[in-house]
Amino acid sequence: MNEQEYKLMIKRCLRCSICKWIPQLQIKSQKYSTICPSIDMFNFHAYSAGGRIIIALALEMGKIKPSKDLMDIVYKCTECGGCAVACKFLNTLEPLEIIVKLREKLVSLGYGPMPRQQQYIDSIKNYNNPYNEPHEKRLAWLPNDIKIDPHAKTLYFVGCTSSYRRKEIAIATARVMNAANYPFRILSENEYCCGSPILRTGDKNSFINQLNKNIDIIEKEGIKTIVFSCAGCYDTFKVDYPLERDCNFKILHTTELFNELLDIGQLNLIKKVPLTVTYHDPCHLGRNSEPYEEWDGDELQMMPLVSINMPEKPKRCGKYGIYDSPRDLLNKIPGLNLIEMERIREYSYCCGAGGGVKSAFPEFALKTAKTRIEEAENTGADIITSACPFCSTNLKDGIVEKDSNLKFYDISELLLMALGSPNKSIKESSMEVA
Amino acid sequence: MVLEKEAFKEFQDVVGVGNIDDGDVITNVYAYNWCMEIFNYMEAKDPVPFSPIPKAVVLPSTTEEVQQVVKLCNKYRIVFKAQSTGLGPWNQPSVDNSIIIDLRRMNNIVKIDEKNLYAVVEPYVSGSQLQVEIMKYGLNCHMPGAGPMVSPLASATSMNGPGFTSPSTGHSARNVLAVEWVLPDGEIMRLGAYGQKNNPDFFYGDGPGPSLRGIMRGWAGTKSGLGVFTKVAVKLFPYPCSTDFIIKGNSPDYDFDIPDFMKLYVMDCGNFKKLEKVMLRIEEEEISFMCSYLSGFAVMAIFSNSIESLMDKVPIGQMKAPLVVIITARTKQEFTYKQKVMDFLIKKFKLENIIGTIYTPKPIFYAEALRSNLGLHGFIATGGFQSSKGVADTAAVCLRSTKSNIPLKQEFIKKKAIANDFGEGTWMTSYESGHYFHMESPTMFDQTEENSVKGMAEYMEKSNQLDLLKHLGAPFFVEGTRMHELFGPHMSNYHLWLRKIKETFDPNNISDSGFYISPQNK
Repeated sequence: MNEQEYKLMIKRCLRCSICKWIPQLQIKSQKYSTICPSIDMFNFHAYSAGGRIIIALALEMGKIKPSKDLMDIVYKCTECGGCAVACKFLNTLEPLEIIVKLREKLVSLGYGPMPRQQQYIDSIKNYNNPYNEPHEKRLAWLPNDIKIDPHAKTLYFVGCTSSYRRKEIAIATARVMNAANYPFRILSENEYCCGSPILRTGDKNSFINQLNKNIDIIEKEGIKTIVFSCAGCYDTFKVDYPLERDCNFKILHTTELFNELLDIGQLNLIKKVPLTVTYHDPCHLGRNSEPYEEWDGDELQMMPLVSINMPEKPKRCGKYGIYDSPRDLLNKIPGLNLIEMERIREYSYCCGAGGGVKSAFPEFALKTAKTRIEEAENTGADIITSACPFCSTNLKDGIVEKDSNLKFYDISELLLMALGSPNKSIKESSMEVA
Repeated sequence: MVLEKEAFKEFQDVVGVGNIDDGDVITNVYAYNWCMEIFNYMEAKDPVPFSPIPKAVVLPSTTEEVQQVVKLCNKYRIVFKAQSTGLGPWNQPSVDNSIIIDLRRMNNIVKIDEKNLYAVVEPYVSGSQLQVEIMKYGLNCHMPGAGPMVSPLASATSMNGPGFTSPSTGHSARNVLAVEWVLPDGEIMRLGAYGQKNNPDFFYGDGPGPSLRGIMRGWAGTKSGLGVFTKVAVKLFPYPCSTDFIIKGNSPDYDFDIPDFMKLYVMDCGNFKKLEKVMLRIEEEEISFMCSYLSGFAVMAIFSNSIESLMDKVPIGQMKAPLVVIITARTKQEFTYKQKVMDFLIKKFKLENIIGTIYTPKPIFYAEALRSNLGLHGFIATGGFQSSKGVADTAAVCLRSTKSNIPLKQEFIKKKAIANDFGEGTWMTSYESGHYFHMESPTMFDQTEENSVKGMAEYMEKSNQLDLLKHLGAPFFVEGTRMHELFGPHMSNYHLWLRKIKETFDPNNISDSGFYISPQNK
């Protein structure tokens, strides 16, 4: 969204509140009709996407100035994108893009991100990860028995959170690929943070530096395919990188890859996993991972005040997120019973961790996680699974906080169980995400 | 202006920490609304989408909290404006010395009485939330044309309330049963059966004792000009067909299996005289779920989900007097009967149903009709629209109003102030078997262009004058002192009585009268 589009669009909010709910036609119960964790938690209209659009307009008009209160509202958003899916059924507004741009403006004015988020960004600049961990320890997750092929054209981009905080996901992912004899390499000390925490909190310039570092090394190494177990890294590479620079490599999430490997018989699931499981769609793997379709059309004025796009501009409503791969994969695990929550796929309710919320507003993140855990509990499942280390961390926190009987496993861990090799070599790691 | 510390603390003691805010960010957000720029310009102010900024916003969670907030407003002489889902300029404060009572935390469906066909809701229950819960009992509710995201309580107590399904679900003014109402002085009034000393319940609105419905909401509601409504019972209706349907696919291209007993007719009546006859006859037969006269342009809009797809439908827009009818049924026999009646009327009036021959809408249209989502299509052409006119009268008067408005609309289309709907953009629906009708003239403008905003405001002013000149009655948005004083003298001086009500119920003028009537003459 360029500056002109932004300035025009922020004048167009109807204040209709549609952004607070899943699309009206898809509402199946009052209890699970909402989509926005922020307005659900804080109630004042300012905490909805529509409210933030009004803030953007009031700021442009000079009616308000950046302040602590304003920052609190703008940053208490998980950028889950549910608002955008709901709004765009009939409208052409881009609520999520406006919020991202508003954060960029605040950063450029010398405000934002939030102090705790800034610490993560400083850490990324200093150590290439948001956790103040030594860069040389990036491979500490890697057990000795994992086979890495340094000449493989497929890269497993482990990501900071799985490398340092959610090692079980990295280990399970690598073991599954090994079990399939699927050759992959890792970038080791040349893997840098994808930049997602920087981008989501509004520091666009620093994000572009990070993007360039990663693409430079990937191009230099001749990588053809990149596999991600982190939905955040996946979304950033798949959707955000191409907006800034050409990317000549294929992007796959592990759920896509593993599903393919199962289909071609390269993975054989030999052990029953007799669990009742519900799947949480990560926002970054679901609706937000829908790529922007290139549009090279013209705007034609049909009559005064009425213009049309020729051809019609594609609407990014979450349709092309990754929803089926994880479900197909779970359904292929022998003995596993997949049952769904009410808010799924592009209408999934955010875990609460995104957009820098987990770092800056941990209580808000935790309350949102509890809401989602309750929805999962109501399905009768034993297990909640997902495919993102951020969701994993926050949902696990939610389980503990709620004293729930649910257990969380990453989808790769469930797959590993079905392969007959439980994920043993996992050390206790800190439950922290940027 | 901010609240005095002492006042802030007292409000906070009522609603709790975190449920009041007097910061400039939140208060400015609550100063914004759709179409505020037009209403500002009509009041000789800058055409910006912001109203006066409230001093604070409070979020009560119970009737008792609302009552205490209102009492504090009286104590500190601070005007209050209550809002639920908050769509439209009617939710905005009209003075600087005000607070907003946002009823968002009051969002319970208190009761669904499936046997006696009513539901009791709090202010922030949305239409779609209520509808989806009562659909589980095979029931439906009325929803205003504004869409399923707005509050049934607000529509029933405080707004106009026509809807696309009005032939089968009536009108908000008619659907309201018992009400819980915090008066402007803080007293709690319970209307209808809920006011009984013994066994209070919500099933009846007009007793015991004299009905206060006329005072409570009158024709168009008081828009928080006469207190705060905290609970309301609304009538429910049998769902028009099976509720066992799923909307498949992805937004915006959803797919839908049209229920077995549902059929759409779009027929060009050719002229208004014939349209009137046909509409009256169809409504006399009591067979329609939906029966609307829509201009050709509006028919294009309800079948489209983007401006581009709307432009594909220009041939439909050529119709002179299109009538859109949906029949539905719960049994094959009922459906057969209704179809036979429609076949007979089509033959009798020499009409042709273009559906399935000249045009076949996408199935999602049917789902939108069933979930009351069609009104939102008014926004797709320019992003902004507002209705002028707004008659509730006989079909003849409604059509006379439609006809008289066309040259005026065309004048402003020529000026490039409003978008070209051929000057005919109108929606008309019937209530209660055709005994009376509602007509309004949705008009598209561009809120990002000042000339369009100013032009739209001027058009609306002239449209109001036209209603006076042609004796067409008060328009849809007859609200605010200026408008009541304009129309009152021509309509039995109703404004004087309205003013007496305001004075009696709100002696301190604490309930914002901006979209109702001020207690004193200007």
